[in-house]
Amino acid sequence: MSPRAIFACLALLAAGAAGAAAWQGDQAAGKLQFIATQAGAKFTGGFTKFRVCFDFDPAKPADGRLDVTVVTASVDTLDDERDAMLTGEDFLWTSKHPEARFHAEKFRREGKRWRADGELTLRGIARPVTVRFQIAPSGAVLTMKGDAKFRRLAFGVGRGEWESTEWIGDEVEVRFDLRLPPAPAAASP
Amino acid sequence: MPIRNTASRYGSVAQALHWAVVALLIVQFTLGKIADDLPLGFDKLVTLARHKSFGITILALAVIRLAWRLGNRPPPPPPMPGWQRVAANLSHAALYTLLFAMPLTGWMMSSASNYPVSWFGFAQLPDLVAPDRNLAHDLEDLHELLSTVLLWVAALHVLAALKHQFVDRDGLLMRMLPWGKP
Repeated sequence: MSPRAIFACLALLAAGAAGAAAWQGDQAAGKLQFIATQAGAKFTGGFTKFRVCFDFDPAKPADGRLDVTVVTASVDTLDDERDAMLTGEDFLWTSKHPEARFHAEKFRREGKRWRADGELTLRGIARPVTVRFQIAPSGAVLTMKGDAKFRRLAFGVGRGEWESTEWIGDEVEVRFDLRLPPAPAAASP
Repeated sequence: MPIRNTASRYGSVAQALHWAVVALLIVQFTLGKIADDLPLGFDKLVTLARHKSFGITILALAVIRLAWRLGNRPPPPPPMPGWQRVAANLSHAALYTLLFAMPLTGWMMSSASNYPVSWFGFAQLPDLVAPDRNLAHDLEDLHELLSTVLLWVAALHVLAALKHQFVDRDGLLMRMLPWGKP
């Protein structure tokens, strides 16, 4: 995790000092996966390094804040060749864009789930993305499970012949299943 | 030409299935070889996707062929020495086995390497095994080994058919050709 991401997390916690509960976790908290379509077949990959900072009180969703930082080079599709290709310039371009980030401050209920309208920054391009999730306290830990969809071409992921949506689908689904521990007490007021 | 096999020759269904599989196998060997020589990239993805789709097609045809053969016995072979009959039965059994084993090991290899199979983009097939790097590697070796075995058995099959036709002159090859006399 880069110093910048840790700083982002601390800044978030300071901002959330108003009293809302805060949780934060990294890859040890669970899974962050994506489902992409290749030659008409869906496959699942994931990221093995990421950080989630979530400052949220269901009674005061307007004060909520969600920050997810992903180390793009940690992409893992269970195939080394494909991972090497995905980290390359035509896809995630991880040498130039080592992190992808999702940030949301707008939350509203949708039945049993929450909807967060935020912004995903990928390959240096920021676009609005909606994440839907369900949360449930489990002791001190918050379980958070949800998904999102985005169009890879909107972020320039897959250039040249890879722009063909016949061979690589435009839509990518993101899924996460996390058990976030409470943020350290040192960061609380 | 009758649809079903007769006592002297194969019917149109058995012949169509036989020659369709021959054509697809030639396509498969070519695509497999091309893909093997390509670095990972767009061309390899496209070539392998087609290779997989044709492979699944062969698997489906193999099922149909076997079912058709079980319900419609092949014409009895022309008189030949006992060892040749045994060799013919063994090589036919090997060819049928390989028609199943090749696509199945390919499909398993795709599942193990987390590149699921789609049939020409129309339908995604379920994964046969969970992704596993070591298993994927072993299956790749097996798929390649079986392709070499298939090549040799098919060569033997062709040479035997030509020997019957042109050395023994027993008309065996004509039983599998549409213009062959009944």
